Amino acid sequence: MQNHDEIPVESESESTAFNIDYEADDDWSNYKDSDVMQQQSAIFEQDAARFPFVGDKEPLSSLEAEYKSGSPILLEKIKVLSEKYAAIRRTRGDGNCFFRSLMFSYLEHILESQDQAEVEHVKANVEKCRKTLQDLGYADFTFEDFFSLFIEQLDSVLQGNELSISHDELVARSRDQCVSDYVVMFFRFVTSGEIKKRSEFFEPFILGLSNTTVEQFCKTSVEPMGEESDHVHITALCDALGVPIRVVYLDRSSCEKEGGVSVNHHDFVPTPADGANASTSETGSEPNPFIVLLYRPGHYDILYKK
Amino acid sequence: MLDFGRVQKELQECNKDINLSGISVNPKFDNLINLIGSIPGPVATPYEGGTFKIDIDLPDAYPFEPPRMKFATKVWHPNISSQSGAICLDILKDQWSPALTLKTALLSIQALLSAPEPDDPQDAVVAQQYLKDYQTFASTARYWTESFAKTSSLGVDEKVQKLVEMGFPEDLVRKTLGAVGGDENLALEKLCSA
Repeated sequence: MQNHDEIPVESESESTAFNIDYEADDDWSNYKDSDVMQQQSAIFEQDAARFPFVGDKEPLSSLEAEYKSGSPILLEKIKVLSEKYAAIRRTRGDGNCFFRSLMFSYLEHILESQDQAEVEHVKANVEKCRKTLQDLGYADFTFEDFFSLFIEQLDSVLQGNELSISHDELVARSRDQCVSDYVVMFFRFVTSGEIKKRSEFFEPFILGLSNTTVEQFCKTSVEPMGEESDHVHITALCDALGVPIRVVYLDRSSCEKEGGVSVNHHDFVPTPADGANASTSETGSEPNPFIVLLYRPGHYDILYKK
Repeated sequence: MLDFGRVQKELQECNKDINLSGISVNPKFDNLINLIGSIPGPVATPYEGGTFKIDIDLPDAYPFEPPRMKFATKVWHPNISSQSGAICLDILKDQWSPALTLKTALLSIQALLSAPEPDDPQDAVVAQQYLKDYQTFASTARYWTESFAKTSSLGVDEKVQKLVEMGFPEDLVRKTLGAVGGDENLALEKLCSA
């Protein structure tokens, strides 16, 4: 017999998320949507217990340990990575990892650098995004809470005001669903707004990616929680906020250079629609994004430079 | 914790242009968790002229989780259960986003009434009929609209009287009518099943 109300959870077992007896009664029509959704949220809760939204900072060697018995190409690549990068901070793989990584990485950077100019620059862009959404016909109440929560986080990583928080508190907040989910939704709104605003630019990429209209893409692949991010999302968010992002790719593709393996990366640099990007390039034209994310197929984590 | 501030704003926003959209959302009882939505049947469909009530329950995690919606008014439609009123619509499940609102969800349901998707049915019997014998489907749907989705022009007191004459106690009748937004058919159904 099935019991739809109680989902047995075996905390010890690694592989079986659910213990519903499929053999006993495999009539799936007995499952109501609410049961399925309940199951799904139970899976997320289990994951949550196992892994926080944002993990602790770990030395890069922990990544190596993960692939010990795996592909030699990956091990080679991790060796190459370790020349430039010292540490990794993992995020939960729930489809929101790009946004959660970006949130933590950005706020941590502001906390450590106390870069007032960068905060002003981003706040100005956030205001533009708000305007974009209004112009697109979004009702204010649908997004204002998410916007104000993000601004609040920005203000609190700047020191010297009554909202100021420590690094520990930033970690704690990033693990708090109320804060983290709200910031993820803020990013999703900004991303969706930017894509729709420049739909002519994004249309061909979206067609290539999912063969849908821009409107449909935003509705199904940007705005719902848990939808994974792709190049289109990153480009849009980076442009909208004016924040450059480096993505380092760790996959099995062999990119042999003379004398060994190399690791690909891509710098997402805001398009000059927003001219004031002085804070990003160090010397000359070489961009040097302070946000570095490690991409493994289907997942983003945070990387720390040496 | 349910974001009551947002729900409050949504109700205001939605009921502001009720004359234009015909769509409304109101508390069912004295709280903001159980709501009742109302959508007019789209013109040029078998649902034209009907007013459809939607039961709405808001989960704690709203707006991060979708509102739970089902038809309180009986309706003959491939994507709506003729038994339970359950609705098969992506945005009420995994395609929900906090960017959507109760009103946009109700608008999507209204659009679903205009454009059934029989290949992704909720009610297999209705879907079969829709695909194989559209004429019968349309007349059944129209008949259901006439029978269940048309609120009579009776005043509240007349409705109460009618139901009291059927043998239900008056205070219970008034309470039930209130809970279903004044729809006598729904009230009768509730009273009978109580």
